[in-house]
Amino acid sequence: MTRASSGVEKTIWDRLFTVLVAAIYIFLMFPIVLVVLLSFNSGEFLAFPLEGFSLRWFEALFSNKRFLDATLYSIRIAAVSTVVNAVIGTLAAIYVARHATVARDYIRLIMTAPLLVPEILTAIALLFYFYEIRIGTDYSIGIQIGHIVVTFPYVFLNVSSALFNFDRSQEEAARSLGAGGWMTFRRVTLPAIKPGIITGCLFAFVISFDIFNISLLLKSLGSNTLPLELFDYLRFNFDPTAAAIASLSIFMTFAAILIIDRTVGLRSLRF
Amino acid sequence: MSAVEAAPRIESRSNRGSATWMVVPALVLLIGFFALPYLTIITMSLREASTRAVYGEGFTLAHYTSALRDFYIWGILGRTLLIGATVTVISLLLGYPVAYHLAKSRSRWTSLLYIFVLSPLLVGLVVRTFAWMIILSNNGVANQALQAVGLIDFPLQLMNNSLGVTIALTHVFLPFIILPLLGNLQAISPDLAMASRSLGASRMRTFWKVTLPLSMPGIQAGTILVFVLSISAYVTPAMLGGTGGRTMSVLVVQYLVDNFRWPAGAALAIIMAAVAVIFVGLYLRLTARAMRRLP
Repeated sequence: MTRASSGVEKTIWDRLFTVLVAAIYIFLMFPIVLVVLLSFNSGEFLAFPLEGFSLRWFEALFSNKRFLDATLYSIRIAAVSTVVNAVIGTLAAIYVARHATVARDYIRLIMTAPLLVPEILTAIALLFYFYEIRIGTDYSIGIQIGHIVVTFPYVFLNVSSALFNFDRSQEEAARSLGAGGWMTFRRVTLPAIKPGIITGCLFAFVISFDIFNISLLLKSLGSNTLPLELFDYLRFNFDPTAAAIASLSIFMTFAAILIIDRTVGLRSLRF
Repeated sequence: MSAVEAAPRIESRSNRGSATWMVVPALVLLIGFFALPYLTIITMSLREASTRAVYGEGFTLAHYTSALRDFYIWGILGRTLLIGATVTVISLLLGYPVAYHLAKSRSRWTSLLYIFVLSPLLVGLVVRTFAWMIILSNNGVANQALQAVGLIDFPLQLMNNSLGVTIALTHVFLPFIILPLLGNLQAISPDLAMASRSLGASRMRTFWKVTLPLSMPGIQAGTILVFVLSISAYVTPAMLGGTGGRTMSVLVVQYLVDNFRWPAGAALAIIMAAVAVIFVGLYLRLTARAMRRLP
């Protein structure tokens, strides 16, 4: 390449770079925008040209009992995963940040391990394991535990990062003023790490709502999560109802992103 | 739980009494329902096949030997690795400029652009792959557009093959390379580039000799992440791959769910994981050499 020393050349390279980067941003967003556009399109097909605004595909979605059941089931699984991880993930993060000594690195590794291995392998592992320990996959307990395991690191990492940024001397000040352990936690530590907990929980909820492989292999008879239902639907149908389901999931994700952005800022996310 | 008990209980001044209970629920979860299950993949792969039960009485290595003698499986393994390598290289080429731009950007639109990078990551895989089906199918958006401008007369085959899987996986995993790179580039002091410029180096030369070498750790982390994610991806090849784009994960799930051959499927999963570990290990050795000169 030429040396970008003169002013004219510099602008050309700068412009080329800007065009390239803009194209990649469009590549990133285009598929998502496309799905949302087509879900509000009144035409029968998932193609252009757009024929006009319509909510008919959302009506079709909400009058379909399978999709409604799947949505509620997904919300239930994600809510339980979030609540369980909010408690045990926060406790574990506090332990690692404040109390762990020698085994700290190993504990941290175990806590983040579900993120480091492919989800499909974890799903296979749990499928075999639940069979061996006679829990099986007849009930929702298997899929629920799978979701808790896979979303655990999100809460742990976000709370850990909040603890890391939080000045410990505040806790010591509370202690020296006579506050007990529980009082210090409730009045000093908890308010300080609350943004980290909220971010981790939102993240865990969204991920649990979206994950597929765990649900595919561990689902119990007769109940599908929303991604599974969409996957099954797309095997035999290819119409804008699928786009409406997809849009619904996209809106939920953006709501979560907006909340995180407004409360703690996106850049504090850890994963 | 031995890890906890092995840890000496040095009590900090701010907390008298043991705090070990705080980590116990998480350890029970991750040892009981994560570490131990992984062991059952290994034991399952050594079980004898059975037509009446999930597995037979004895143990055997037959699933490994017959898989490794099967050309069909070698073919699928080769395709999986090829897709993974292609996706990794394209992701790096597309992801680096974006990370570089975000790291340098001072505009008030930066946080919007950051959302552009982050949001595909949080939108479900099925949804994103479905979007690519709309784009890549025979009468999809891409073929419509190409026909409208007169570049082609007949639709191109863009999905149900490796091409479609590669395109969609690149989109799906691009954020995973941008984010580590972004963190890395932001940590590089701008003074270094400035020093290089003031000593007379062009911007190009400064990039090649200063910025790029210093961002090697981010490149390494991001490429490994994308490679591992794309060779183990299930949803995208299952929805977009058809038979022409079938990968190892799709084959493993077919063994487990459709054919109900758990021991053979477990052996395939372990072969896939072992190949991934070998490739990542080789890659780490290669890149370690390039990074040795870094501070």
